[in-house]
Amino acid sequence: MEELRFRNDILPLKNKLYRLALRITLNTAEAEDIVQETMIKVWNQRNQLEALDSVEAYCLTICRNLALDKKDKKVSHVMELTQEVQESSLDPSTPHENLVQDERLKLVHELFNQLPLNYREVMQLRDIEGKSYKEIARILALTEEQVKINLFRARQRIREQIKNIENYGL
Amino acid sequence: MDYKYIEQLMERYFNCETSLQEEQILRSFFQQEEIPAELLPYRDLFRYEEEEAMEEKLGDDFDAKILAMVEQPTVKAKPIPLRTRLYPFFKAAAAIAIVLTVGNAAQHSFSSEDNDFQQSNVQPEMGYQQSTSALEMTAEELSSPATKTKEKEKSVDTLAVLTDRDTGL
Repeated sequence: MEELRFRNDILPLKNKLYRLALRITLNTAEAEDIVQETMIKVWNQRNQLEALDSVEAYCLTICRNLALDKKDKKVSHVMELTQEVQESSLDPSTPHENLVQDERLKLVHELFNQLPLNYREVMQLRDIEGKSYKEIARILALTEEQVKINLFRARQRIREQIKNIENYGL
Repeated sequence: MDYKYIEQLMERYFNCETSLQEEQILRSFFQQEEIPAELLPYRDLFRYEEEEAMEEKLGDDFDAKILAMVEQPTVKAKPIPLRTRLYPFFKAAAAIAIVLTVGNAAQHSFSSEDNDFQQSNVQPEMGYQQSTSALEMTAEELSSPATKTKEKEKSVDTLAVLTDRDTGL
């Protein structure tokens, strides 16, 4: 077996792990801590890992579990959400065109983050990270059917919200 | 332009019937500038999905931090030969040796300087005495030959007198 290397095999996953952790916790500082913890945990277990191709899925699983642990400890989930919204409506330093575009993307960002946890993590892994149903099922410890059901509901909800925004304005 | 294919894909997307490739086609499609009005509301969704995947949120400072944390404990115990293990002691010993040598040399030179100084304190008198005695001796030497030469002269004179006498004879 090829030797696992931190710089080549684990470190490049940092942004994927961070995006998943952030999608779950909705807190940037916490997400960074989780990525750090995940990498160190995986690195310390590197001798027990069998195949290199599973490293990414394994890291994502660990990352998700750590994020869920942290999230359970947090009491006020609503607080975080409003914080996120406030943070995202700051930053007035971009030109008008970009600002409008950014605002619209931020709106989608908020739509994503207002989804229930099990919907948004499946959306994250499928639509942003481009993972197969099989991989997602493995990472989330679900069956492929359950993954599809959650994804279907998540996409339907996003679609409804986009329609609502179109029909009734912001 | 006919957007039927895209519309079909959209419908299948929301029903979770698209493959990963088809979903990528949708994301690429919404990157373009001209999008028909009926599809426009969904543009931001796919643009967001695309942009989120590209975003690099953890920078080099994160790399540096995590590498520092990871690379420290990964140092494996490997056999170190006695020489390398004692290497720091060699260094220390060398350093001590240098300090001692320099210190010794300094001390020696200081103390010998002191001696020189003391000797030079004594020397003037001795030198004076020696030089005076030397001068006296030379003076004697100088004066005594003079007397000798005078005596010689005298003897020469007497010889002359004697020869004069002889010739006179």
